[in-house]
Order: sequence, then C-alpha cells, then structure tokens
Amino acid sequence: MSDTPISPIRLHKELERIWMTPPGIGRLSSVNHTVLGKRFMVVALTFFAIGGFLSMLIRAQLATPNSAFIGPEIYNQIFTMHGTVMMFLFAIPMFEGFVIYMLPKMLGARDMAFPRLTAYGFWCYLFGGTILIVAMLLGAAPDSGWFMYTPLSSKPYTPGINADVWLLGITFVEISAVTAAIEIFVSILKMRAPGMSLARMPLMAWYMLVTSGMMIVGFPPLILGSILLELERAFDLPFFDPTRGGDPLLWQHLFWLFGHPEVYIIFLPAAGALSTIIPVFAQRQILGYRAIIAAIVAMGFLSFGLWVHHMFTVGIPHLALAFFSSASALVAIPTAVQIFAWLGTLASGKPKWDVPMLYVFGFFFVFVIGGLTGVMLAMVPFNTQVHDTHFVVAHLHYVLVGGFVFPMLAGIYHWLPHISGRQSLYKLSIPAFWLIFIGFNLTFFLMHLTGLMGMPRRISTYPSNWGWDWLNLLSSFGSFILTMGFCLVLADLVLQFRFGRYFRRDPWQAQTLEWATPTPPPSYNFAAIPRIDERADGLEPAKIGPLLAGGYGYLGFTRNGDQETMGVDMLTGAPEHVIILPRRTYLPLWTALATASFFLAMLFGLYWLAPFGALLTLILFLIWPANIGQTEDEGLIDIGMGEAAPLDVECPNNVAVLANRCALVMNATLFSSLLFGGLFLLVVAPNWEGLVPIDWPVWLSGLAWILSASAAGASWLARQRNLSGQNAGGFLLAAALGHVAALVMLIVLLTAVPNPTDHARQAVMFALLSFSAIHCGLAALLAGHGFWRLTQGYVSARRQTELVLAWLWNGYAAATMIPALGLATLLAWAGGT
Amino acid sequence: MVRQDLRALLLLIAGFTVWSLAFVVLYGLQAIGCAYGWPNHRWLLIGAYVASLIPLAWLAMGKPVREGEPTTTLSIAAVWANRAALGAGILVFLPVTFVSACI
Repeated sequence: MSDTPISPIRLHKELERIWMTPPGIGRLSSVNHTVLGKRFMVVALTFFAIGGFLSMLIRAQLATPNSAFIGPEIYNQIFTMHGTVMMFLFAIPMFEGFVIYMLPKMLGARDMAFPRLTAYGFWCYLFGGTILIVAMLLGAAPDSGWFMYTPLSSKPYTPGINADVWLLGITFVEISAVTAAIEIFVSILKMRAPGMSLARMPLMAWYMLVTSGMMIVGFPPLILGSILLELERAFDLPFFDPTRGGDPLLWQHLFWLFGHPEVYIIFLPAAGALSTIIPVFAQRQILGYRAIIAAIVAMGFLSFGLWVHHMFTVGIPHLALAFFSSASALVAIPTAVQIFAWLGTLASGKPKWDVPMLYVFGFFFVFVIGGLTGVMLAMVPFNTQVHDTHFVVAHLHYVLVGGFVFPMLAGIYHWLPHISGRQSLYKLSIPAFWLIFIGFNLTFFLMHLTGLMGMPRRISTYPSNWGWDWLNLLSSFGSFILTMGFCLVLADLVLQFRFGRYFRRDPWQAQTLEWATPTPPPSYNFAAIPRIDERADGLEPAKIGPLLAGGYGYLGFTRNGDQETMGVDMLTGAPEHVIILPRRTYLPLWTALATASFFLAMLFGLYWLAPFGALLTLILFLIWPANIGQTEDEGLIDIGMGEAAPLDVECPNNVAVLANRCALVMNATLFSSLLFGGLFLLVVAPNWEGLVPIDWPVWLSGLAWILSASAAGASWLARQRNLSGQNAGGFLLAAALGHVAALVMLIVLLTAVPNPTDHARQAVMFALLSFSAIHCGLAALLAGHGFWRLTQGYVSARRQTELVLAWLWNGYAAATMIPALGLATLLAWAGGT
Repeated sequence: MVRQDLRALLLLIAGFTVWSLAFVVLYGLQAIGCAYGWPNHRWLLIGAYVASLIPLAWLAMGKPVREGEPTTTLSIAAVWANRAALGAGILVFLPVTFVSACI
C-alpha cells in the first residue's frame, strides 16, 4: 500500500495486474467470478440450444398421427434428454452463472466468497453435462423420463447404462449447484459493501438468499436418491425393489422432495431479476419491498410442502392428499403478492417501454396462465383427471418458460450492455419477441386442449381418429415459429456484440450498484468499495462510479499483491474484516478431472478404479489451502476511509466457518432424508413381514459412539486450549485417532450386517453405517488437517479457523452417529415380537 | 441495534419454521398411526394440530419490536411472514379434523 494517492489509471493497472485472468492456456486457471459467470451462461445457453433442438424433434414426431419419423426407443431418449437438459443443464446453471457474474457487483464486492470453488463447480458442470450429451450422441442417453421413476429405471427394466448416465452425470453436475448454493448464501451474508445492512439489500439479494437456502435444503434428497438408485443398479442393494422390502414410491418421495422446490428455485432468481428490472422501467422504487420479503420467505417454506402433488394418483390417503392440495393452492398467494407489487410499481410509476419490458409483458401473460392452471392441478379430482396428459405438459411449460425464460430474456436485454459494453440496435429484438410470444402460445396453449381430450404425455405416436390431429399439427407449427424467434434473439445478441453502440455508465438510469462499475467491468469490479447509507436499489450509479474508480472508498489501493475485498457483519453491514481471496490456479481443473475419473469409473463399471478417483480428488482438495493463510497475527489493518479491520483469518465469524456450517446443514438434510427413507421402508414398504431379527452387537455400537463422542470432546478441548494460548496439538491428534478407532468399529459393525442384497432392511443398515463411517473418516481428516496447519504455524489464538472446523465436523460425526446407530439397531430388531 | 436486527431476522423465519415442523409431525403421525392402527388416531392428530397453532398464533400476534425500539423493515416483514404462517397452518392442517386419515 502506498501512502500517497495514485492516479485512477495507475490504480486500475495495479488492480488489473492482481485480479486479471491470463490469456491463452492460462484462461483455464481463471477463478474470477466475471469470467466464470460468463462461462456458465454461455455453456448453459449452448445446452439450451441442444434442448431446443431436441424439442424440435419431439414436435416433428408428434406433428402428424402414426408418424415414423423416429422410433419409440430414440423418442424415449429424446424426451428424457429434453427435460433433463432444460432443467439440470440449462435453467439452474443459467441463473447460477447470472448470479455469479452479477451478485458481487450488486452488493459491492470484488468476487464471490470462494473463487476456486466457483471454478471447480464450473468444471464439474461442464464435464457432467458433456457426459450426458456424448452418451446421447452414442445412442446411450437416459430414456426413463427426466424424473427417472423406478422400477422403469431399475436394472431389470433398463439393463444398459442409460439410467447410470443420468444418475452419475446429474450427480456430477449437481456438485456445481451445491457449491454455488453455499457460495451464494455466504457471499450475500458476508460480502456486501460496508453499510449495506440486510434491510438495505436490493431485492435480488433477498431472492438469492432464500433461493440458495432452498438449494442447501432441497438438493440433498435428490443426491441421496441418486446414490441409492445407483447403489441398487450397481451393487443390487434393493432400496426400491418391492420384492425385497424396497419401495418405488421412496424414489418418488426423494425425487419430488427436491423436484418441487426446484420449480421455485428456478422461479425465484427470475423473480429477483423482474424486481430489479421493473422499477428501472417504471422509473420508481419497487412497491412493497417489505411485503415482497415476507412473500419470498413464505414461498421458500411453502414450496417444501407441495411435493406430493406430483404423486396424487399413487394411492395416498385422503388426509395426506388434503395437506398437499391445500398447500399447493396456498402457494399462489405469496406469488400473487409479488405480481401485484410489480403491477403496482408499474401503475404508480412512469413506465417507459423498451425491449426488456416486452418480455416482462410476456412473463405476466404466460406465467399467470401457468399459475392458474397450477391452482387447477392442485385440486385432487382435476389432477386425477388430467394426470400424465398433455395438460400437465402445457402447465409446466407455461410455468417454467413464463417464470424463467421470459424473465431471462428480459434480463439478457437489460444486462447484456453491462457485459458487452454496447447497447442493442433493436433491429431484430421486436420481431424476435413477437415470434417467441406467438410461437410459444400456439405451441403450448393447444396442449391444454389435447390434454383435456385425453392425450397422454410421452407417447411417441397416436392414431388419427381421436381428434388430436389438427391441434398437434398447429402445436408443431407454433414450435417452429418459437424456434425462429430464438434464432433471431441469438442473431441480435451477436450483432450487439459486433455492432452495438457504446455508451457511458448506466444507460438505463438504473439505481443498483452493478451499473457503478465500468462497462464491460474490470476483473476487480470496483477500484474502491463504496459505503452504502441508503437502500441499495435507490442509488445513483452514474455519480458513484467515477468516485469509486478514483479510489474513493474502502480498499481503494493495492497491498502485497493480494486480492482483497471487504467482509461485513451479516446483519448491519458494518465493516468486520478484510478477506484475502485465493489467486488463479489450475487446481480446480485438476480436481474436477479427478472427480470425473471417479464418475466415469462408476459409469463403466470399473468399481475397483472408482475409489482411486475419489482418493485423488480428496488429496487435491487437501492441497488447495496449502499456501493460504497467515503465519503471524497482523492485528488491525487499514481499510481506507480512516477505518481499520482485521484480516479474515483473525475473525472468528469468517466466510470459511459460515460455509462449513452451511455444508453441515446440507449434509444433515441428506442424512435426514436417509433416516426418512429407512423409516418409510420400515413402516410402509411391502415384504417386511416374517423377517428374523438380526443378532446385533449393540455393545459394539455403543463403543463406536463412545469413541466418536470422545473424539468430538477432544476437538472441543483443542479449540478451548488454543483460545487460551495453550498448545492444542495433542487434543487434535487424540480427536483424529478417536475417530479412526470409531471408523474401525463401524467397519466391524458393517461385517455384522447379513448380505445387504437380500433385503432392503440390510441395505438401509449398510447405508446408515457407511454414512457414519465416512463421517468418522472426514472428522479424523479435519482434525489431522488442523494438526498439520498448527505445526505449519497457521494457527494461533486469533487465527482459529482450522480448529473451529475440526470441532464442527467432529461434533457432527458424533451427533449423527446416534440416530444412525439407533435406526440400524431398530432395523436389526425388525421382525421380532 | 444488532440484537434487534438479529431478533427480527429470526422472527422472519420463525413462523414458517414452526409451520414446517408441524407439517412433518402431522404427516408423520398420520402415516405411522395408519400403519400401526393407533386407537384415537384422529384425536391425536387434532391435538397435534391445536398444539401447532399455539406457537404460530403467539408469533403472529406478538409485537414486532420491544418497548422503545424503532420499527424496522425486517420487523414488519417478520410480522407479515408470521401472520402468513399462522394462516397457512390453520388452512393446510385443518383437514385433520374431518378428512379420512387412512383411506
């Protein structure tokens, strides 16, 4: 850091040297959120094009009756891949990319909380998605529908690798979703501009805070379901086989526990974009800021109480149907609160029409229809009538295209100038919109009618005498109009990058902080970080931007060549610490390649090779923090504006600790889903009568838990000793050894489980004990890691992060072992009197 | 100020957290009661329903701020969210009083 002020140009050059991504092969080492956000969006749009092409094939097949265009086998792969690509490879990664690019800029930060994790997530997404597309090109794509229902997706009915491609490929892709969820949650809470309290955040941040919270809780059931189904397919553990005590309905529960919140996980970021765009074009602040926050929270929770409305016809008691039916109808209310707030904002403002507003209009029209048919489908008698018909296909497209694609297009037209630095010439934008709007409604509105006339979804052809012919032909015609519209949008975007006109800062007169950066933005976003003293959706970016570029604000200088940004108090936004972010590296790429080797080994049945892939991934992860941290206490350091703050490693509430707490919540959700699965099978599944109790060594279970609890206690004592300035190494080693011993006990217990392929009871016991064993291993690893960092000088009474993490994971392993061993014992006794 | 903000943030999610727990408990009681043929199953469900409404009502009717504290954005959003949670609890769980539980 220099004592004398430097010129804005020099400051820019120094910051750029620190934060930039090198050209050529060095691009692969990028960990910068602007670069990675753009990569996410480009790859997601590529998958969108692939998914769109597949939909063209579907509509070509269904255009006429008795069509022989593609046979049923290929058709099954195509409609499965269309849904899979659109949901998992387009919608989620698209908003992740948008948020990774935009959120730090909206909040006044220089990057996300864990740049290497962003890069790792991107590579996992790219490699996982590529596995799915390559499998499709080779004719081995998944073909059991995008929700992979068992028993159709079980080994006897899908003997090839098609279902494995889905289970492993999607789980690989989901790594990027779970890492993004934690990163977004932590970044919003800890990495805002000083002064930006929670109540001053722009609504987009509120939407993403709730969405990332939902992802933390929503994705684990799917991941668990995929693991269990893959275990069944690869190793014959019968979790879903009713002849051996399993139940196909367990898959449906686990899938839709994820699947329904997923709809809101996709919608809420889009709603956040709308809540940002509409006030800009209404030329006033959003109406009902507080009501919208309450509505987002309500939607976040209610969306987890609806999943069974996808299962109304499977034979569930009326009372359970009533719970889910009323909750499904009720969720329309917080949705309506937002819609009325947006309409009210437009009505009370001075709306100016521009291309983004065309898509906002499209959103209102399409999404409201989708919402109303959603309320219809929430009613059990109507749902039963149209179950698995094209009415449902129409509804879901109205909701997802209305609730995500139209807002996304509004967002693209609104924010693309931020990325490109140019404004559109609008020669193609308006006809493109009308082609999309007309094409979409022609395609999908008619599906309501074919559905009401009884046309089932997923059929590859139909006879010509059922009155569906003209409606299907018009639907297919509409889909080609829709595609033309998307092609025009693509051309428009390319032309904007090539010929668009340059503009000065904030072309829309928006009032959020992202427009205070230069456009296109530099790699560090802000030369100085602003202080925010009012609600952050009522700012004047055109005035703030030049001040920040001149270095007026927090951290408006460079120091030691470090990538510095501010960490704040979660609630008040008061400056709390300086975060030093890790620099660019190839490690995320290597780690993702190692992870890919694990998934590919599993996919091709090379089960002996898979553990080596997992081990290599683990080793690479352990290398990540090798040179990160401080070996001396720095105390308070200058942050500009006449203030000082400690470094993140000296702050007990730093981002690493919060992220690990989030990871434990996510992990606990997966574990709860496993407990639910075990209890579900015990209570509901067939073929549990006549089981003989297992001779179960309860004393060994007790011993394993005592060892684990002792290890957890040792890790807690290690932390306490460190806080009081004493050496904690002995207790950390004791914690590691204690959990290694507990791991050995659990392996012995695993050998006491009779053949897990015989019955779901043993399979669940095997899964529970394996879960605990893996977590004992992780706990030992974290304690050992803490010991190693201690010996390297990275730990002191002030720098205690490693010891907090060791305590968190050791305590978690001991805590989860109680219900795991308890349920295993209960299952072992099943069948007794 | 920090304590008030923290309380408001916790209150913002408190109502629907209680609602979620009540949902899980009621759904679980319904399923387990049916599987094992519990006597007085209906009354147990109604008891759980009423018990779940007590904390929801307490949260919905409570004052958003303490004496002398200013009303804030978060505290008002919390009141609205908690009132919505009470409404959701009354409506969604009401069927335990009259709908057939096991058929």
